[in-house]
Order: sequence, then structure tokens, then C-alpha cells
Amino acid sequence: MTNTQLWLLFIAIGLGTFLVRLSFIQLQGNANAFTQRAKHVLMIMPPAILAALCIPAVLFDQRLTSPFFSYQQIAAAIVTVLIARYSSSVFWPVIGGMACLWLLRFLTGH
Amino acid sequence: MGFSIARQQFWQGAKDLLPLASGVVPFGLITGANGVALGMPIEQVIAMTILFYAGSAQLITYQLIQDNAAFFMIFLTSIVINLRFAIYSMALSPLISPLAKRYRFPLAYLLSDQAYALSSMPEKMQQNPTQRLWYYVGAAFNQWFIWVVSVIAGTIIGVRIPEYLSLEFTIPLAFLAMLVSTISNRQLFIVALISGSCAAVAQFLPYNLGFIVAVTSGVLAGLMLSHFITVRGVN
Repeated sequence: MTNTQLWLLFIAIGLGTFLVRLSFIQLQGNANAFTQRAKHVLMIMPPAILAALCIPAVLFDQRLTSPFFSYQQIAAAIVTVLIARYSSSVFWPVIGGMACLWLLRFLTGH
Repeated sequence: MGFSIARQQFWQGAKDLLPLASGVVPFGLITGANGVALGMPIEQVIAMTILFYAGSAQLITYQLIQDNAAFFMIFLTSIVINLRFAIYSMALSPLISPLAKRYRFPLAYLLSDQAYALSSMPEKMQQNPTQRLWYYVGAAFNQWFIWVVSVIAGTIIGVRIPEYLSLEFTIPLAFLAMLVSTISNRQLFIVALISGSCAAVAQFLPYNLGFIVAVTSGVLAGLMLSHFITVRGVN
């Protein structure tokens, strides 16, 4: 691909991505038009999205080209969940999970 | 007084984003360093970063450029990977849609996983739209700033963080911690369970489509469940 084509590609993807981001924001001109059902969907979405974002990355080690099931990462995730139940911040659950991951890696040697 | 509340929410959002930076910075460094390794000039990598503002699409575009994929194929792949932003767009439209175009467009551009997630936490959903909007603006700006600075740093210094520390793993852990605080009843727990299982099973689908499949399944299951609860009259 020539340099000009690269620039065109980046601009096209940038514009396309922006339009995806703008999509519903642009369509939904009036917040009051939201039906009860739509509000209900919006309430269910955060756990659905967060679970879809993190569960695959927790279960499988993504560092290698072919992801594999990782017990160490799952143990770290359990520590994070336990701390998150008692802490409202994101900071301590993440620290606890990472400490668990590093400890397990250190103990098992890989 | 309205102004001080806005300012307070803005800084609260910016501050709440900081714990998430531990995962964003290494990802940004990798994205910057890989762009330079591909032979692109630094200013082109930076322009690409600002145009895309989407790390995973940027990394996949690198890969496809190296594979000599066709222009349209690369374009389509990146857009499909970024379709998840349409879901965030739907979720945040009550806040951003009513604004004038000069605010609406930049705030739509700033949508990110992190900014969406932070401003959809239960305690945020209870606040009024003005507070939520300013909180979103603070989180979204800070995320953008940290991302762009990390990529630029990556283009200049390369990746200096040892790989065995797996700092990228703080990204799923942060989302997991936020997931725990969004689950306030059994229905939402089942939604998360179904969405998470579907995402794990469907992660090998191309173009990140597993994400869309998983979120849709989780939301549909939640709707069916609440329908069932209403019909049975139990709560």
C-alpha cells in the first residue's frame, strides 16, 4: 500500500469509527422519547457489557498467539471479585488480583 | 453553584479513571512501538491514533497492512471491531443527544470502554443527568489524554515494561471489579453469567463479533427473565 493509500485508509477508518460512536447519540434527539422498555434495557446493559469485556480475557491467557485456559488468571480474578465486594473503588481489587497473579507465577516458576 | 458541581464531577470522573490507567498505559506503549516497528513515521502513528482512538482496531489494522490485505477489507474489519461503540452510543445517548452539535460530536468521539463503564456504575446512574454528563466528560477526556500520551511515548521510547508483569491484565481485572459493583440483584447476576459465558465461547468468532453476540444474549436473557418475573408476580 502506498503512503497516500495508508492516509486515506486511516482517515476512512477514523471517520467510520466516529460515525459508529455517533450513531445512536445522533438518532436519539430527545431523551424523553425513551420508553420504559428502553430504560430497562439500559439498566441490564452494564453487567452484560462488562462481563463480555472481561470474562474471556480472564479465563484465557492472551499473551500467546493461541490463547489457553489460565488457572493463575482465574485465581487472580477470584481475589479481585472478593475484594471488590467490600471496596467501592477499582484500585484495591486490581492490586489484589495482580499481587495474586504475580505470586502464583513466582511460586510456579512460569 | 451549577458550575462548581460541574467542575467537581469533571474531576471526580478524571480521578476515577486513574486506576484504569495501569492497563491503558502498557497497551498504548505497545500500540505506539508496533506502529514504528511497522516502518511508519512517528507523526503518522500519532495521526492514526487520534483518528481511530481505538487500540484494538489499530493493532489489527497493523496486522492486516502487513498481511497485504485489501483496502476495503481492512476498513470493514476495523469498523466491525468498533461496532461495540454503537452499544455505548445507545447507552449514553440520553446524556449526550440533547446537547448542541459542537458538544455532541466531540463527546461522541471520546466514547471509550472505560468512559462508558465508569459513567454507568450504579451510584452514577442515581445522579442527575448534568452530574453524570460532567462525570463522563472528565473520565472520557482523561482516558483520551492518557491513551494518546502513552502511544506517543511508545513511538519514542518503545516498550520498557517487562512483559512478565502482564500489566495488560489489569484491564480485564478493572472491568471485573466494576462488574461486581453493577450486580445488585439476581437478575443482573444471571445477565452477567450468560453474557460472560457466551463471550468466552464465542471469542473465536472473527471481527470481535463474539462481544456483540454475548451482550445481545445477556440483555435478551435479562428481558425474558424480567418478563417471567412480571408474569409470575414474584419479585
